[in-house]
Amino acid sequence: MKEIFSMWKDTKMVVLVALSAGIYAAVLIPFKGFVLIPGITEFRPASALPVVLGLLFGPAGAWGAAIGNLIGDFFGSLGIGSTFGFVGNFLFAYVPYKLWRNLGLVSKEDMEPNLKSSKQIIAYIVVSILGSAACALFIGWGLEILGMVPFAALASIITLNNSIPSIILGMPLLIVLYPRIKKWDLLWTDIIPEADVPAITAKSRTGAVVMVAFILVGLVGGLIAAVGGGQALLYSGFASTAGDALVGIIAGIGSIGVLVAGFMQ
Amino acid sequence: MEMFLYLDNDTFLHRLDPRTKMLVMLATFVVALMFYSLNTLLILSAVVLIYGLVGKTLSNLKRIRFILLMIFLFSVVLWSLTYGGEPKLLGPISLEGILYGIVIGIKFDIMIIAGMIFLSSTKVEEISLGLVKIKVPYRGAFAFATAIRMVPMIVATSYTISQAQRSRGLDLDSGNLVERAKKYIPLLIPTIISVIRGTNVFAMALESKGFGYSEDRTNYLQISIKKGDLLVIFMALVVIAISVYYRFII
Repeated sequence: MKEIFSMWKDTKMVVLVALSAGIYAAVLIPFKGFVLIPGITEFRPASALPVVLGLLFGPAGAWGAAIGNLIGDFFGSLGIGSTFGFVGNFLFAYVPYKLWRNLGLVSKEDMEPNLKSSKQIIAYIVVSILGSAACALFIGWGLEILGMVPFAALASIITLNNSIPSIILGMPLLIVLYPRIKKWDLLWTDIIPEADVPAITAKSRTGAVVMVAFILVGLVGGLIAAVGGGQALLYSGFASTAGDALVGIIAGIGSIGVLVAGFMQ
Repeated sequence: MEMFLYLDNDTFLHRLDPRTKMLVMLATFVVALMFYSLNTLLILSAVVLIYGLVGKTLSNLKRIRFILLMIFLFSVVLWSLTYGGEPKLLGPISLEGILYGIVIGIKFDIMIIAGMIFLSSTKVEEISLGLVKIKVPYRGAFAFATAIRMVPMIVATSYTISQAQRSRGLDLDSGNLVERAKKYIPLLIPTIISVIRGTNVFAMALESKGFGYSEDRTNYLQISIKKGDLLVIFMALVVIAISVYYRFII
């Protein structure tokens, strides 16, 4: 995880943070009026971007997604939920690039995200769904403990709202962008010093497995607890109120666990 | 094209330190989140609107009225249909559900209006400097401020590309909403490429101007906490304290 802090030393990475954030915000803003959950989320084709930005620009893409989402909130939905949105969108880009490297879905020799093999395409779909789930878990947990929106409704809607565009729109986007980014030497692994690129070790691989486990425990466990506590998935979930202690604990363990697992990688 | 909300007025609110305005915004969020009483939220709305009026920022309400209205309407419709409660008015719709939807709609709209007032009375450079003063690292604050400035440029680039494609015969105006949205997606790729292409030059330009030369930067713009700020900070803290007292102690 040290690269997410050490990258700030590199001017090119700082510029990539700003450009990633600007692009993400610019695509988010026009859809602010297409509300899905009042004050919380809207129809977001821009969700195609964080996974792509994460895989191409690594930590710069993750910070860019977080800042871009915050700027998007400035244009009409800035609220307490924006703090959870910041971390959630960071995870939306961070989890995919970490799992891409460490989960063993792609071989060490074929690590660059060109999506030229079926193995890479499957890996892309898996990390997109897990990134979307991590984002949904953190935001869902945050707004549940604040008593704002029921976890089951919010987490299920965000997971779908993030993973569908990131797979359907994100994949062609990455296929088109990768060769150019590679040619311009802008892949994050080409920019930051080799010493700062985290090595793939047994510890980092364990960290990736732990991260997936916490995402699944937090999201699936949280949803089971929420449904058991009277909540329902998607829009039916608005019939209940937020603030269930058990849901807060399970989703909280998952959310914090994802962050801790990041330090193992 | 003016995308930013900032209004260049010389008012008491504009002269406040950005950190003070951040605290007021935070206090609004805290109070709005604590209460589900319609009366309390209406009082808070009145206070927030008076605060915005002091800074002559309420004209921006026109610019975000669509978002505010959509959030309020969606909230009322959504919770009316799903909340349950009594007495039943029509099918699943109950009076309790409608009132809850109104409360939640007002709650979210207050927070968004508080955010709008902050952005309408605070320049991007002030926000960036305010973040640095509250110990956000300079490079992070720089990336944030640069990204905000990039947004209109990126939108302008996408507009230029769409005009170029139209001149080559691309029809962006026909079809239903989904079909039209699909036609815009291919325009996203050249926009992103044209923005990213400038990365190396941008980084070199920054370094040639001494970016990162020293951790202790000086700033042309200076901000400081003055008497007015202290008064507003005191009032915000009192409001939070009273709210906590009423919510958790009484």
